[in-house]
Amino acid sequence: MQARGAAFLRTTAFRQTLLSAALFALASFVTLGFVYAASAGMVLRRADAAINEEVEQLDASFQAGGIRTVNRYILERTVGGGADYLYLLVHPSGRSLSGNLTYLPDVQPDDEGRVQFTYRRPAAGDRDDADGKDDRTARGRIIDLPSGYQLYVGLDVDEETRLVSRMLNTILAASALALALGVAAGIFVSRRFVRRLDRINTVARRVKAGDLQPRAPRNFTGDELDELSENFNNMLDRVEALMHRMRHTGDSIAHDLRTPLTRMRNRLDEALREDGDRQSREQALERAVADTDELLGIFNAILSLSRLEAGESRASIQRLDPADIASDLAELYEPVCEDEGLAFAAEIQTGLILLGDRGLLSQALANILDNAVKYTPAGGAVTLRLRETGEGKIEFSVTDTGPGIPDSDRGRVTQRFVRLDNSRTKPGSGLGLSLVQAIADVHNGTFELGEGPGVVADGHGAGLRASLCFPKAPAGS
Amino acid sequence: MRILIVEDDREAASYIRKGLRESGHVADHAGDGEEGLEMARAAEYDVLVVDRMMPRMDGLSMVEALRADDDRTPVLILSALGEVDDRVEGLKAGGDDYLVKPYAFAELLARVEALARRRDPDTVRTKLVVGDLEMDLLARTVVREGEEILLQPREFRLLEFLMKHSGQVVTRTMLLEKVWDYHFDPQTNVIDVHISRLRSKIDKPFPRSLLHTVRGAGYRLQA
Repeated sequence: MQARGAAFLRTTAFRQTLLSAALFALASFVTLGFVYAASAGMVLRRADAAINEEVEQLDASFQAGGIRTVNRYILERTVGGGADYLYLLVHPSGRSLSGNLTYLPDVQPDDEGRVQFTYRRPAAGDRDDADGKDDRTARGRIIDLPSGYQLYVGLDVDEETRLVSRMLNTILAASALALALGVAAGIFVSRRFVRRLDRINTVARRVKAGDLQPRAPRNFTGDELDELSENFNNMLDRVEALMHRMRHTGDSIAHDLRTPLTRMRNRLDEALREDGDRQSREQALERAVADTDELLGIFNAILSLSRLEAGESRASIQRLDPADIASDLAELYEPVCEDEGLAFAAEIQTGLILLGDRGLLSQALANILDNAVKYTPAGGAVTLRLRETGEGKIEFSVTDTGPGIPDSDRGRVTQRFVRLDNSRTKPGSGLGLSLVQAIADVHNGTFELGEGPGVVADGHGAGLRASLCFPKAPAGS
Repeated sequence: MRILIVEDDREAASYIRKGLRESGHVADHAGDGEEGLEMARAAEYDVLVVDRMMPRMDGLSMVEALRADDDRTPVLILSALGEVDDRVEGLKAGGDDYLVKPYAFAELLARVEALARRRDPDTVRTKLVVGDLEMDLLARTVVREGEEILLQPREFRLLEFLMKHSGQVVTRTMLLEKVWDYHFDPQTNVIDVHISRLRSKIDKPFPRSLLHTVRGAGYRLQA
């Protein structure tokens, strides 16, 4: 628990909220401080103004009748108590002449000649004094009169200063409270945040430990954490799919390679046992070499497929005219079709621009054309077409009048090593269409299989239409 | 022909060496890039066969070092890396041809011999002649026994390649790469079909055939 708490204090969320709580407290402290400065200052300014007025009165008395008049003025006001002001007139010898203060404050006056000091109230009872203390705060001026007399005029500001200091205490307390509340709120909020993050981390740790099942919880509010969970889950889905495919591929490789390897082994075995017959031995060896080549071909196909699917192949994508690709392949395959007794036609639209890798696109089309030639019986037709579709895509399509692929199998044949039953007798690795699919993916394209133009009633199949669609290259170079 | 094999896999090297010797060539072997560079500098070779991945100095660095010395000996790079970009990298480093492992020996031999031929000062040849078959590279015409033969553009390029390598075995993969610029092997026998088309034009009407099939390897044009 202790360690967990310490760990919590280290979290970014907590530090952020702590910082914002501190900033909030500072802001309220500054605001209240401003209020304090304004009101406290006003209280003292008002006292100072009143003192100045009284000093003017005394000054007028002095002008009228000198020290005596001043002395009388003070006596009149202070005898019997109840004076509003504090007075003290001091003889040059230091003796007090009149006033309700007993001695002059021993405080250095400030720039404006003002002093603030604590005095002992001379007589109790003439003022309401709640706390009963006799030490009170006063504020006033000391005026040097001619011929060495000194006059103090002041006001009792005890109430006011006490109010001001209470205000200051209140402000400090409020700021401290704001800080405490901010931190508490921060802990609360960040705890929630950290708990949600913790759940995602827990999922990550379980996945790391090898369990691909768990998914990060989502609250579907679309907030940042929800989005993180969603992306995290999508990533896990992809990882799981890749792992599954890898496992499946591994199994398929083992399964599909076992057949040719066994065949090869038998041939070599036979060649060893064959007595003397040099020619048949040579034949067996030649066939074994051909088997090896076939196996190597499968390995190479697996390798390029893996690199394409992993997105590792840095295909050299360029702007190119798909018509060049289509016409080169048409020219390559036309004679092959004719030799197989197939009518070949090419319909190629020119002037389109595609972002692609010539080698890869050619290979994809060659794989499709290979299949068309392989499966379409003599007398059929193969058509290669390049056109811009209604949706503004660039489509390569190859149609044949062969047996076609049943609807239910069309999605399956692009998976690795999937070979339909009726194709097992033909040479092939079961990787050709997977490679086409991977090449389409690399180009942000789609690969689809559909019904061909064949006539089922003729005893041929429905035929097959293989379509590779790519987005057009954006205008400009 | 004198050939240097630079290959760290001793078994593979001795397999190539034996094959080349059986075909009448002299073959030396270097076990890594540094040794290969030393030997290539010390003696005149007609062709270098260089493995790409080797200890101490890899094949591409070795070829680059040679080319920096202005040594133009043709180089065939062998590599287990067969993607287009790997190939481009190999050719950029100064290799003249690129062969992906695993390969058939016949393929290697055909390429080595083709590379040696390229060294001949044939840069400005405008006319190719094999027996009574003549090709004018400027006028783009082909004549046999005084009779003009009409060829499609691709057939013309196919024949041109065969004539430039007359007397040598040319493999199907070589033709796909050099004539069509495709670096994949189609499942169907596309090359055979094109060769048989060409044959029907340049050989069939004449008593003696020039275009021969070499079993298990490819084709050879020979008078």
